[in-house]
Amino acid sequence: MERRQDIVLGTVFAALGIFAAVKAAAYSGASGTYPMVLGLVLSGFGLLVAGRGVVRGRAEPRPLTNHTGRVFITVAIGAVYLAIVPILGFYTASALVVLALPVALGFRQPVLLALATAVFIGIVWAVFSIVLEKPLPTEFRQTF
Amino acid sequence: MDIVTQVLSGVFALGPVAAMLGASILGVFIGALPGLNPVMAIALLLPLTYSMEPLVALGMVAGIYNGSMYGGAIPAILLRIPGTPAAIATTFDGYPMAQRGEAARALKIACWSSALGGTASAIALMTIGPILARATLAFGPAEYFWIAMFGMASIGVLVGSDAAKGLMAATLGLLLGTVGLDQLSGAARFTFDQVWLLSGLDLIVILVGLYALPPVIALAESADLKGLSAAQLKLEPAKVPWSEIRGFVPTWIRSSLIGIGVGILPGAGGNIAAFLSYNAAKSASDDPDSFGKGNPAGVAAAECGNNADNAASMIPALTLGIPGNVVAALVLGALLIHGLQPGPQLFHQNPSLVGGFMVQMLLTSLLILAVGGAAATKVFAQVQRLPGVLLVPTILVLMAVGVYVINGRIVDLWIMFAAGLAGYVFEKVNVPLAPIVLGLILGPMAEQNVRRALLISRGDVTELVTRPISAVIALATLGLILLPILSAISRRRRRA
Repeated sequence: MERRQDIVLGTVFAALGIFAAVKAAAYSGASGTYPMVLGLVLSGFGLLVAGRGVVRGRAEPRPLTNHTGRVFITVAIGAVYLAIVPILGFYTASALVVLALPVALGFRQPVLLALATAVFIGIVWAVFSIVLEKPLPTEFRQTF
Repeated sequence: MDIVTQVLSGVFALGPVAAMLGASILGVFIGALPGLNPVMAIALLLPLTYSMEPLVALGMVAGIYNGSMYGGAIPAILLRIPGTPAAIATTFDGYPMAQRGEAARALKIACWSSALGGTASAIALMTIGPILARATLAFGPAEYFWIAMFGMASIGVLVGSDAAKGLMAATLGLLLGTVGLDQLSGAARFTFDQVWLLSGLDLIVILVGLYALPPVIALAESADLKGLSAAQLKLEPAKVPWSEIRGFVPTWIRSSLIGIGVGILPGAGGNIAAFLSYNAAKSASDDPDSFGKGNPAGVAAAECGNNADNAASMIPALTLGIPGNVVAALVLGALLIHGLQPGPQLFHQNPSLVGGFMVQMLLTSLLILAVGGAAATKVFAQVQRLPGVLLVPTILVLMAVGVYVINGRIVDLWIMFAAGLAGYVFEKVNVPLAPIVLGLILGPMAEQNVRRALLISRGDVTELVTRPISAVIALATLGLILLPILSAISRRRRRA
């Protein structure tokens, strides 16, 4: 696993470096030289890491996650949360994610969950909207 | 004398005092919660400091930093779970003491040791920092460029277990720092015709993603559904007599010096300071076998050592722009938010602000004694009754609101999320995150200075390495990069 990870990692960085160098070569004068050099250096380090993985990488397991299911749930709900913030508004979307994510991860105490959500959203509202007066994405119900 | 008055009047204004006090309390809470750490807390805090006075923002950073380093000792002693990586050595003797029914005594020793270590470190910062800053007056663009390169190389090589990956991460950071309008020519670079990329990648957005999302995912993976019971967190009252406190003095002096030394070295952190201090206390003890079985001196050494690293890590950060650890890198980020360029010029251009921050590091170290007393520690310990899964979405929401309020753009939330996922994967494949952040911070400084130096020398590249100071720093940088190669060769020769 470690060997394969390093080969993939090095190759990705090498490709990124080459892409950056090629892109930077099109920039005029000195503004392109510096990123071009960085791109080439990045691809050099990437090739070094990948090459080392090929030559003396070990096949010992190094999993990317400790619990793939929970990572997937967290990332998926996190992405859905960011997607619905502009649609539902900040507070509604946040209340939904604070309720949904613990349940999805196996939490089964509805009273405690509801209480924690109410207190937390209340604190965020008091700090950001009342004290700091920060403009946040508008709540969907305010548009009606 | 005028500058001293200016510094003190700034620090002791209502806003900075409230910020220090509140952040110290919050810091102890955060340190006491396993899974949360000062790096994550400061990363979450930074977006909020945009609209604050610089000394209020820096006071909060200082309070969270010092408070959380002590807070990490609470679960380390009560549960053998270090609240922060720097508290690992505290578990060695703290937990056996707790098992003997001496948890409150161990926490009291940890509190005193943290406060004294932090205070010694702040005094070192206040004395060594200005001297080093004066020495940098002779620096020109070439020297600034090499200082940035030295910082990148030191963090790249010394942080993490693989120098090649560290240097690769540093280069990625430098490259990300070029996104947006070129400050010298005005040309757009890597913007892909997106208007929102013209101003470049926001450092804080990347910071929050890289440092706050990976621990959130780790918390979700552990899926703690219950938290701890009240019985597990019960503390019996305890007194530490003065005679015993006096006995710790040699340990505190030794650990403070070790912590300060480690703090100044780029790349080393509080965990290394704590381990070295612990080993030094064990070596100097008349009864080394008692270490690991509940010797209070072990707790004193570890806690004093890890807090003595705090302010000392700011010495190279504030004077040269090279952070001693990740928190110091975040402090550099906080300075950038307020339009202050970290590095040699900072002391000359903003002496009252830098001086104020130094005093705040000292005051927040002492505040640990006030907010970390027996009653307060009992309260802080109770935060561990909170089920970990409840923290996962709450931190996610705090990340989102913090990042959104910076520019008011939804796209920043996605950049943060992408940076966080990349950070999670990078940590798993042993790519250190600190060099990426440092590349973003030092990248523009490095580029502007190297181009300025070349303009002055009319394109003569040799000018970068022929000036005496720049030659020395360039050689030191080269030495650092070659260090892993040379040590690998010597290891192979020894084996042969």
